[in-house]
Amino acid sequence: MHHEKVKHDFEPKIIAFVCTWCTYAGADLAGTSRMQYPDNVRVLKFPCTGRIDPVFILRAFQKGADGVLVSGCHPGDCHYMAGNFHARRRFAAFRALLGFIGVDLERLQFSWVSAAEGGKWVEVVTELTEKVRAMGPMQEFKALENEEQWSGALGTPELKEAFDSIG
Amino acid sequence: MNSKAQKIKAASIDPAYYEAVTRAIRLEAAKLLQEQTVVAVVGYLPGRRRGTASPALVTTPEQADRLIFSPACVNNLSVYLTKSKKGVLKKGRIGIVAKGCDMRALAGLMGESQIKREDLFIIGIACAGVYGSGLDRTDPLDEHNIAGKCRECSVHLPEGADVSTGTLVELSDLAPVEATEMARLEAMSTAERWAFWKEHFSRCIRCMACRQICPFCYCEQCLCDKNRPQAVEISPRPAGNMAWHIVRAMHLAGRCGGCAECERVCPMDIPLNLLNRRMAKELKDLYDYESTRLPQEKGPLTQYRDDDDQSFIK
Repeated sequence: MHHEKVKHDFEPKIIAFVCTWCTYAGADLAGTSRMQYPDNVRVLKFPCTGRIDPVFILRAFQKGADGVLVSGCHPGDCHYMAGNFHARRRFAAFRALLGFIGVDLERLQFSWVSAAEGGKWVEVVTELTEKVRAMGPMQEFKALENEEQWSGALGTPELKEAFDSIG
Repeated sequence: MNSKAQKIKAASIDPAYYEAVTRAIRLEAAKLLQEQTVVAVVGYLPGRRRGTASPALVTTPEQADRLIFSPACVNNLSVYLTKSKKGVLKKGRIGIVAKGCDMRALAGLMGESQIKREDLFIIGIACAGVYGSGLDRTDPLDEHNIAGKCRECSVHLPEGADVSTGTLVELSDLAPVEATEMARLEAMSTAERWAFWKEHFSRCIRCMACRQICPFCYCEQCLCDKNRPQAVEISPRPAGNMAWHIVRAMHLAGRCGGCAECERVCPMDIPLNLLNRRMAKELKDLYDYESTRLPQEKGPLTQYRDDDDQSFIK
């Protein structure tokens, strides 16, 4: 039953924001059915995809996530009737915004996984992990975290001239 | 009333046009205050320096006689009616001077139940455009000193206003600077775009002028000011700056009226309106939503359809 764990040079950190009613139950089903999926994924449970603020995704990337998965109920199955419909529009917009800012959208995955789809959960997680593993670490946001303001050279001739002209 | 306005094209805007509009505004404002239709009029008074104007609240017919309209009247006055500037609307019906782009902000605020149409008397202006930030204000308005947003303006006429002033004169052959810049950005690779925005955002000093001037940033407590839990880093460092500008653009998506005030007030000249325009375009393409001068019941992100595009969802 136990699979041999393959050693990789890079183990990506994947953060999964999931809704408690469908995807969390789906992931639970995968577990109780003893299906194997990468342990790179960290699951965070939310009441509904409608509760998942784009800020959370941003924060995950800033704090070191290499990939983010957002997953919830299929359209029409929302426990709160319309949460995932609203989320669908919001994430479509957010995705477009990140794309315009210059974030690689391959690292951000959305999916619908119902409580009965343990297999699909395994498939989605494995696919995203392998994709992100191949892409390597997410550098952009981490580099920003480590940068300070005015990181440019301070001793430029222009600045010196401006300083001298103050007299 | 708008049907009377006809399009006249010109190379520069004749000062006589502004005098005519100024006269009409003064007349209208004085009449409204005299008849006590409104308790105050939000408009523009001459600034202390030549070629400037400052927003003002006038409450008497005598004060109303000092109101002006000139290409220096850049402010979007609707911000004075929002929750963030408390109390103006509590005193009674308010008259407000509005350009076409301001009308969109007013309509947006009405759609979000922030103001009521019956609490307003809108003095609309057939607007030819205003001066761009930091450009020469001594010459009459022409190709060289017009604001970027006015080059591609599609709302010259104040549709939906209570009274409309001025006969529209439009500048001819304006180069669409913003659209060109947008096309240039969209043609870039992802990494180049990231470098572009990183460079711009790293200059941000987090003065929050873009938030204070925005008619739609009326939250009593901004998410970005919160500490526990902290959503966006508050100090002006590149990481927090990037997050702030993404959050700002996201919170304005589907609401922004395109007045470009955020870009005008930015002391570091960050091209913020590009983000707003990009989001507006995206929501137009996806959900066929556009910001209009007449109030709409719901914005694109507060409604849904069963058959919305979900090609990006697995």
